[in-house]
Amino acid sequence: MIEHHTHHTGAGTLSRPRRVLLATAAVGAALTLAATGCARGEDDVAAGNAAAGDTEGQAQVLDEAASGGQTCNAQDHGIEPFDLTDKKVGFSQSEAESNPFRITETQSIKDEAADRGVELITSNAQSDFSQQISDVQDLMSQGAEVLIIAPLNSDGWKPVLDQARADAIPILTIDRPINGTACEDYVTFIGSDFVEQGRRAADQMIDVLGGEGEVAILLGAPGNNVTTDRTSGFLERIEAEAPGIEIVFQQSGDFTREGGQSVTEQLIQSQPDISGIYAQNDEMGIGAVTALNGAGKAPGDVRIVTVDGTQAAVEYIVDGWIAAVVESNPRFGPLAFEAASAFGSGEDVGTQLIITDREYDADNAEEELPHAY
Amino acid sequence: MTVSLRGRPRVDRERLLLWMRDYGVYVGVALVVLFNVVFTPNFLSFENFRTQAVQVAPVLIVALGMALVIATGGIDLSVGSVMALSAAMISLYLGYGPLVAVLVAVGVGALAGAANGVLVAFAGVQAIIVTLAMMIGGRGLALVLLPQLDGVRNPDLRELGSGSFLAVPYVVWIAALLVAAVAFLVRRSVFGRRLVAVGGNRRAAELSGLPVRRVLLGVYALSGALAAVAGVLVTARLQAADPNSVGVLIELSAITAVVVGGTPLTGGRVRIAGTVAGAVLMQLLVATLIKHDLPPSWTQMAQTAVIIGAVYLARDRGRT
Repeated sequence: MIEHHTHHTGAGTLSRPRRVLLATAAVGAALTLAATGCARGEDDVAAGNAAAGDTEGQAQVLDEAASGGQTCNAQDHGIEPFDLTDKKVGFSQSEAESNPFRITETQSIKDEAADRGVELITSNAQSDFSQQISDVQDLMSQGAEVLIIAPLNSDGWKPVLDQARADAIPILTIDRPINGTACEDYVTFIGSDFVEQGRRAADQMIDVLGGEGEVAILLGAPGNNVTTDRTSGFLERIEAEAPGIEIVFQQSGDFTREGGQSVTEQLIQSQPDISGIYAQNDEMGIGAVTALNGAGKAPGDVRIVTVDGTQAAVEYIVDGWIAAVVESNPRFGPLAFEAASAFGSGEDVGTQLIITDREYDADNAEEELPHAY
Repeated sequence: MTVSLRGRPRVDRERLLLWMRDYGVYVGVALVVLFNVVFTPNFLSFENFRTQAVQVAPVLIVALGMALVIATGGIDLSVGSVMALSAAMISLYLGYGPLVAVLVAVGVGALAGAANGVLVAFAGVQAIIVTLAMMIGGRGLALVLLPQLDGVRNPDLRELGSGSFLAVPYVVWIAALLVAAVAFLVRRSVFGRRLVAVGGNRRAAELSGLPVRRVLLGVYALSGALAAVAGVLVTARLQAADPNSVGVLIELSAITAVVVGGTPLTGGRVRIAGTVAGAVLMQLLVATLIKHDLPPSWTQMAQTAVIIGAVYLARDRGRT
């Protein structure tokens, strides 16, 4: 009896894996087929606003005053001068290219490399910091001789910095800095001043509210330096310039549209008198618009100020839902390659290159829309 | 005499714990509502209840499927990724009209769930591993299919997300109908009896001739389909398909709702009404802390306290 039973089970396990494998493969194939088979989206225009032809007026512009006077050249850094066109450049992106900022940033780097005929290898850490460290190490072992890094965090880069210094590989960081010594650990940081973006958002808010009212802040992801900087700049300016504005609410929408929507829904329930919302990125601002719209508010009932400058947000200015957008320009390609090239030819390069960001409001939104990303 | 005197308080305490295990979640909801009535401005308005109901609907629908899976002694970590797949499908198939897009989305969700089910039921791989793989792979596939957020302009789908029937939002109607359907399934159908039997004692269920594997396959497919429905509703409400962030961490909210609602993680028992109350409790907790503008870390700590409380009450199960 027992023997028979064991034998039976044995036979079963011999044939079962094959059946399961077949079944799993069948389900997997069906899934993939359903997913890709004969899809037809709402409109057949492929998403590709990054490819918009005219780049005039989209380029980053340096803010000389904010950039500081410290410079670095190849000799100071202890690196032999080089011609960038002969070099292999490695680019490490921090987050998935699933939002307009990252898409445009990566595309800008790729376009500039192609324009200059420079060989480029890229990686994406998908928001995983240890992944980004090993990504950069991989780029170096694949022969990258110049590194452009969009860091996920500012700290924790020592292993990479040590190896790069040993191999005399210059590092340029974009959009976020790496903590280290300029001209020793890295050549230059190119980016926006997030605190300044917060201040300018506050200026816009003070302007549209006439200096009076209750304001809510939709914070970005907690523990992120962009969130902290955009908050501190905003609060500092409001406190200094507009005693009539009261910040009554600060909750995180995690930089996502859904987060902005659900937090705003709660907000307008408990504080119906709110007059302004400062969203720390466009996605949360658009979520706020959806929530206000759903609650039966009209455009302009609650004035919204956001940061980023994506096309969708600037279109909402034209529609009257968003009052103003402070730009955070992701097109780092031209400046980054220009800095790398100048550094290679032995010139002095500023160790901190702060870019000037545009602003969109009701007066210029329609005409500036093509410049949004 | 002395024995019975000493014995009685212990019995009462055990009875109280048992009662709290089954009904504590309702007490929790009542307490949070009471707190808000007293301390939160504008809480007692129809609009507010509407907002809370609309926001809880997706988690609730996902939790229904999760409750069934947990009743069989399994777990489904892939629900959030299935929502992302569903959102991607909506965007990809909306060209055929909203009905086709929704059917494809729910169908793909059921297929993804069935893939989990095949591996759990027939290959005997642990549910936590299978669904973890689907959680990672599903979102990956969704992002390959739809790399970035895509706005939804279709008026019918937008109406589904923001419109109402008899002053109650469609989203809430759908959640209510699904609750009724799943409750019926559990209480009145053979399938419902079988899935609880499988969770109670799989070996016994097998020996008594129940089609254990088919039941498991069905339960995981159902969980996938329900998650896909939640994905459709979130997409309709957001007026955009966002596979990158839709449903992130929703599996944890759903498991919490199920456990807080009195369904033991060990399976063999399922409480649908408790699951609804569990989801409502978590939603009201989050809403309360947001409305009072407390830091998000407080929300996490409050949720932790509720979970620990629920697990503490459930711990005595073996002794009853």
